[in-house]
Amino acid sequence: MPKNPWRGRVLLTALLAFSLAHGATPLTNQRVRQLGEMLHCMCGCNSSVTSCNMINCHFADPVRHRLLTLVEQGAADKDIFAEMETTYGKAILRQPPSEGFYLMSWVMPFAGLAAGLTLILLLIRYYFGRRPATAGAGVEENSPELAKYKERIEKDLADLDQ
Amino acid sequence: METLGALSILLAFCLAIYAVVGSVVGAVKHRPYLTKSAERAVYGVFFLLTVASGILVYALLVSDFRLAYVAARSNRAMPAVYKFAAWWGGQEGSLLLWSWLLSLYSAVVVFTNRRKLRDMMPWVLTVLMATQVFFLTLNAFVEPPFQVLAVGKGVQAVADGQGLNPLLQYWTMAIHPPMLYLGYVGFIVPFAFAIGSLVTKQPGDAWIHTTRRWSLITWGFQSIGILLGAGWAYAVLGWGGYWGWDPVENASLLPWITATAFLHSVMMQEKKGMMKVWNMVLISATFFLCIFGTFLTRSGIVSSVHAFAQSSLGNWFVGFLAIGIALTTGLILRRLDYLKSEAHLESVLSRESSFLFNNLILLASCFAVLWGTMFPVITEAVMGEKVTVGAPFFNKVNIPIGLFLLFLTGVGPLIAWRRSSWDSLKRAFFWPTICFAVTVVVLVAFEVRHFYALVSLGLCAFVTATIVMEFWKGARAISIKNKMNLLRATVELTHRNTRRYGGYLVHMGIVLMFIGFTGAAFNKDTTREVKLGDHFKLGAYEFQVKEVADGDNPNYLWQHAVIGVSKGGKFVTDLMPEKRIYKASEQPTSEVAIRRQLNEDVYLNFAGMSQTEADRAIIQAYLFPLVSWIWIGFWVLMMGTIVCLIPSKVKYSYPKTEVVGAYAKEPVAR
Repeated sequence: MPKNPWRGRVLLTALLAFSLAHGATPLTNQRVRQLGEMLHCMCGCNSSVTSCNMINCHFADPVRHRLLTLVEQGAADKDIFAEMETTYGKAILRQPPSEGFYLMSWVMPFAGLAAGLTLILLLIRYYFGRRPATAGAGVEENSPELAKYKERIEKDLADLDQ
Repeated sequence: METLGALSILLAFCLAIYAVVGSVVGAVKHRPYLTKSAERAVYGVFFLLTVASGILVYALLVSDFRLAYVAARSNRAMPAVYKFAAWWGGQEGSLLLWSWLLSLYSAVVVFTNRRKLRDMMPWVLTVLMATQVFFLTLNAFVEPPFQVLAVGKGVQAVADGQGLNPLLQYWTMAIHPPMLYLGYVGFIVPFAFAIGSLVTKQPGDAWIHTTRRWSLITWGFQSIGILLGAGWAYAVLGWGGYWGWDPVENASLLPWITATAFLHSVMMQEKKGMMKVWNMVLISATFFLCIFGTFLTRSGIVSSVHAFAQSSLGNWFVGFLAIGIALTTGLILRRLDYLKSEAHLESVLSRESSFLFNNLILLASCFAVLWGTMFPVITEAVMGEKVTVGAPFFNKVNIPIGLFLLFLTGVGPLIAWRRSSWDSLKRAFFWPTICFAVTVVVLVAFEVRHFYALVSLGLCAFVTATIVMEFWKGARAISIKNKMNLLRATVELTHRNTRRYGGYLVHMGIVLMFIGFTGAAFNKDTTREVKLGDHFKLGAYEFQVKEVADGDNPNYLWQHAVIGVSKGGKFVTDLMPEKRIYKASEQPTSEVAIRRQLNEDVYLNFAGMSQTEADRAIIQAYLFPLVSWIWIGFWVLMMGTIVCLIPSKVKYSYPKTEVVGAYAKEPVAR
């Protein structure tokens, strides 16, 4: 049996007109917006609680309202985040805590960079270590032989810089 | 029709297996006819997959809802362009697109090398077709696109489909996935040639010369795909972000970073015969990161707004990656003797070492992104609790790395190959450093106090100065010598060495993008409940909500607000942000209104009418300074890439430096 198109339209219009802004109202509070930016919306959108654009989001909307309540009660940021963590777990925080195992998340990228830098410096040392300590013994400073090589080096360098 | 489609995939699967076996046996047993036959099988695979893809697209266009895929990804009211785009809107169709693109690339490789590289080609084909077999396995047996909606013993069509995800019904989304796939799939070609070179113990850099253009074109497609995705997020997601560090976004960035490192380090191999092992590692890493990205998108291992539905595909990808990485690593290790450097680093102050640092920083950035993306999975495995790694983490870690990379972009061209003296460095760095200092001082004078913004904009001036100096020096010399004006001399200079000057244009594009990224430090936003006819302010702008209207069309219902924008008391324009509810899926979306300008974008989102007072509209207003420079930078980057692809007017040969004189291990024979 075909659906009543009017009924569908009325339902959709009602949805459009009355329920769009449900979670948006708390966002008129600037502090709620700031706090929400540090909290992860767990509806699957992968945005922050502030940025989640899912209308009537089952996760972001109640969290925004709770944030507004806490802000109006004068709660400090630290206490608000603590309550959020207690209620939803660490996953609600948009960055890993700087403690225990989670500290690894912050350390590893820079440790990787430091390891790479060390490797390059070792490589450079290895290359330079293979060079003789003194200048070549067999070629005189102004010999025609050396001049020939110097000329060739200059030509090579000029070509390379093209 | 669907039977023919499924049969085509099955036959393509068989032919791809034949191509692998024929190539290997032909190469090992020296049977050229078998190799030739395998090459023709590649054309066959392409033909069969074109038939299968054509049938799926036709089914989407004619709304053949007997097919489960068509019913789930399209509906009658959708415009034809989005029906076509539904080809890659779901798991099965996008995997078919992957296979089709791979078969297209393979056919082009076979055709363009039909008389070249005869020793290497069978192994190149083996890699291409082995990957093809993997994806065809998924198409034929795991995620078949031609399943019909069966009810009892019959086949029944539904009246209308569920439609494509409304968020994907946007013009850039229609071309973003194919562009990204052209990049993802394309990187397999240089990888296949690299493996072919290793297996056949090719002397020299034949594989690099052959694949230089492939790598660049593929990198270009990947860049287009990434930027289109950023443009889509900016215009569709409703909060003005162009990069959210979503795992799937990161997945597309990872191979782009390693490919960028490869495009730089490959110059060391071409010019100096250095970093041969490293280049093998980089191109292999790029290919496997492409596969890894596909795995991330499709396995459901990480949560992402872009990911396809959770499926059992993950194990297949893990298996493919494990086997592929093991074989490649083994092969590189076995061929280390063929990959020895022909020259050594001679000074820390040299172009060579700047390339090393460039590669290090790129790889560090890649590692940081990969680490952050996978950290939730790691914590879940180790601590039993999944943590979130979002934009605040990625920004903190990647901004300093990115700025250092920007610095190296400016430094590289200023340093000579082999070694630079302190005097020449002082001369080269003088004007760029002045530009950096002047920019920072001027910004501070205008009360800019954001540290990263100061450094970033200062570095943008620094790098711009180096690029302008490079063009100026060369163009001026040509202009004097050939008595032509400076503009013509610049074109002549670029044409003489397209690769070098095209590269500088790409760098300029990156600089412009950094200017755009830096603008984010000065973003402003507000959310207001505004009575019809009332005003509110943000920055220098005043907004008046003039009217709210609604209506519908066959695809969706809409409601929009007409908002007058004024600046300094002068009317600027009307903007109309809109809300939609798509009928098929009953899913709501936002259509933001943007006024784009070079200095800043005005960005309005209509969040709907207030629940408490029906005559109040909830408006989210944003000011995004400099964001347009990201898109301008993208066009400059593309232009530079195209210039790089144009053959140079002057053919340069780069003599590899021999170690001579006292530093040589043995006397050089003359």
